[in-house]
Amino acid sequence: MIVAVILLAAAVAPDLRVTKLAPAPGRLVAQVTLRGEAPAEWTEALSGGAKVSVTYRFRLYRSRSWLWDQRMGAHELVVKAERDPLTGTFALTAEYDGEILASGQAGSLEETLRRMLSPLPVDMSVPLKHEPLLLFVRAEFMTRYTLLVIPRAVGTGWVQITVPEAP
Amino acid sequence: MSDWRRRWQRYRRQNRVLIALYVFLLVAVGAGYALLNRLRGLPPEELANRLLVFMLWWFDLTLIVILLFILLRNFVKLALERRYGILGSRFRTKLLLSFLVVIVGPTGLLFLLSAALLSSAATLWFSAPVGGMVRAGAALAETARSEAEHRVQRTAQTVASRLAPVPGRSARLVELERLHALLGSQLTGWWQDGIPIVELVDPRQSSLQRLPPLSSDALTSNGVRGEHFGGTVVVRAWRRLPDGSVVVTGEALPPALVEAQGRLAAGGAAYERLKLERPAITATVVLGFGGLALIVAFGAIWLGLYLSRRFTDPLLALAATTQRVAGGQSLEEVPLPAEDEVGLLVDSFNSMVRRLRAREEELRSAVHRLDTVLGAVRTGVLTLDSTREFVTGNPAAAAMLGVPALVLKPMPLMELQGSGLQRLVETIRDATGPVRGSLTIFPGGIVHHLEMALVPLGAPAQPEGWVVALEDLTQLLRAQRQAAWSEVARQIAHQIKNPLTPIRLAAERMIRHGARGSPELEKVVREGGRAIVEHVSAMQEMVDSFARYAKLPPLARRSVAIGELLRQVATLYQGVRAGLVIEATDESGGRELLLDPEQFRQVLTNLLDNAIEASPKGGRVTVGVRWQDQDALITVTDEGTGLDVEDTEVLFQPFYSTKGRGSGMGLAMVQRIVADHGGTIRLEPNQPRGVRAVIRLPGERA
Repeated sequence: MIVAVILLAAAVAPDLRVTKLAPAPGRLVAQVTLRGEAPAEWTEALSGGAKVSVTYRFRLYRSRSWLWDQRMGAHELVVKAERDPLTGTFALTAEYDGEILASGQAGSLEETLRRMLSPLPVDMSVPLKHEPLLLFVRAEFMTRYTLLVIPRAVGTGWVQITVPEAP
Repeated sequence: MSDWRRRWQRYRRQNRVLIALYVFLLVAVGAGYALLNRLRGLPPEELANRLLVFMLWWFDLTLIVILLFILLRNFVKLALERRYGILGSRFRTKLLLSFLVVIVGPTGLLFLLSAALLSSAATLWFSAPVGGMVRAGAALAETARSEAEHRVQRTAQTVASRLAPVPGRSARLVELERLHALLGSQLTGWWQDGIPIVELVDPRQSSLQRLPPLSSDALTSNGVRGEHFGGTVVVRAWRRLPDGSVVVTGEALPPALVEAQGRLAAGGAAYERLKLERPAITATVVLGFGGLALIVAFGAIWLGLYLSRRFTDPLLALAATTQRVAGGQSLEEVPLPAEDEVGLLVDSFNSMVRRLRAREEELRSAVHRLDTVLGAVRTGVLTLDSTREFVTGNPAAAAMLGVPALVLKPMPLMELQGSGLQRLVETIRDATGPVRGSLTIFPGGIVHHLEMALVPLGAPAQPEGWVVALEDLTQLLRAQRQAAWSEVARQIAHQIKNPLTPIRLAAERMIRHGARGSPELEKVVREGGRAIVEHVSAMQEMVDSFARYAKLPPLARRSVAIGELLRQVATLYQGVRAGLVIEATDESGGRELLLDPEQFRQVLTNLLDNAIEASPKGGRVTVGVRWQDQDALITVTDEGTGLDVEDTEVLFQPFYSTKGRGSGMGLAMVQRIVADHGGTIRLEPNQPRGVRAVIRLPGERA
């Protein structure tokens, strides 16, 4: 039974993929998308009118052979959505590192989910001269608590991808 | 102890520092946690929730740790106290365990039940029926809006279908106005190229008159949209005509309905938010109740420990003091204020201690006085314990026995064996009751004659100790001996001087008559010679009596029927004087006495001689014997003139005579023979007249 639960959990966990990775001198544009079902509890809360969000965490590391990898930057993209039950529309907001990146409305839940799970690309600054960079990304839907008090994020695991060299 | 350490001990006892430290830690940890989460960018409401849960969790955790620490510390302390047998540990253990069982158990049970009830209540709150109700409410609001959308869409379609075949702008405007009135639409408009040509508004719906235009992007196709405007929701639908113009119809939902829908929607949204925060809510409630239960348990345990200390501390202090007092270490009072029954007990104990202290002071004073007296008296006093193994003495005893160490401390009785003290030791060791006697010791080669009295202390059967009184008679005996010799010399001189005078006178008379050739010389010589011979004979007799007194033969004791002996002696005197009655009364019952019959016959003879001589004509002399206890009382009674009181004491001294003749040795010899037999003799007046001599001789002891 435990194995079944683990397999089920693995089956419903969304899969995070980096769909776009465009390095440029001093910049890196990355876009991610989530495949699969979002947590049912989260979706229910969204459709029920609660304000929910997806937090995409980007960590950029400089890969070093003999030392631990050096952290070069950390960024957060938070996509928030809240349904207006009176008009049936969903208000969407994307904040990148605490600043509003974009906002808009969606007429349906499906459109809202699509726009939340495939957010806008983000632009990160990187050093001009650097060793190979590693990008770590994960998505978090909400927080649960272990032993009543220890917060635990519900989301994907960290996805690691090597950043190609800028042309 | 340093000043800081002393301060810390004082503050620690007051617990204020500990409480302040705990609160400071609580605040510091909470602030740290809040700062950490703030840095993570948490929204304020989630931060508040997390902080509350964390503070409760920290509070519960620290209380559990403190509780366990206190319990563990006290249990370890009690276990050690029990192991080392410290007074009161068993009572404290029982009290603490009782508190734990009575308070902590029910509190824990109550907490578990409460947590379970709250958890199930939260589960019920977020259960499917409640969620269904919330969703139904939201669906109701959705339906109302959808119905409005459908209505305006149908209206738009109807208007577009009727307006499409109408040629010309004016005709279309007329038709549009007609349809607006006919369909009862709240908003009917005709747009071309993104610009409203006409908008017909129901005058009752003033909010629709200020509507913002639809975006040109939206107007590229048919559609419907709901928007918040003017405190209500306005639903607009648009439909394109074949010529590219757009028909727009609209409707404003009733504000009351919108308001109700808004409340319903807000409730649904709040419910969904709560659902998301359900773990935090459950944690808050459970931790809150846990904290409450822990506070109760903490308070109960603290109260138990406090009460156990409060109950047992006075009792322990009292018991410890009692032990010290019972052990003779000190006579101290219990320094506790009198409040309750324990205080009454303490007061009683302190009163008892004060009385004991006063008694001890009196006893010490009495002992001091006794020591002073014993140190001052010339009588030697030895004290021994009940086992008679150790002996102490006063300075006089130490000096008499030549053992100075006797004064300093108790010393073993057997160490007094030397210096001729063996007999003293044996007498003390073997005594079964009071003993009196004389003792001759020679400590340091000097002879001491002691009179000894050994007396048991307390009941004779189980004496608590023994006391020996020693009287040194050496000097007294020496003085008595010197006095006796002086008296003997005086008496001998007196006795010899009396006959010497007539002898000298007779001799001088014969010399005078011989010198002048007196014709009476022969007669004078004859008379003088006779007188000289008589006086020399008297002197000879006196010397013989001295010799007899001085050298009495040793006693030849044998069993003698005392009554028979008395009758024999009395018979010899029958008829010795005319008119004198001599009678013997024998009440001895034929019992015998162990005595020397010859010497005792001499005693009776001397007493009878005196009695007969003192008796008047026609008098009566009685000799009798009777028993008193184990002693024989022998009496010789006459009816003479009697004796002066002072004579009764001196008559037994040698050379004393009231008759003016004789050696005065008769009664002295009587007393000596009686004394040699272990008896006593006294002279007492006889009633109605005369003298009675009473001899008490010890009989054979059983």
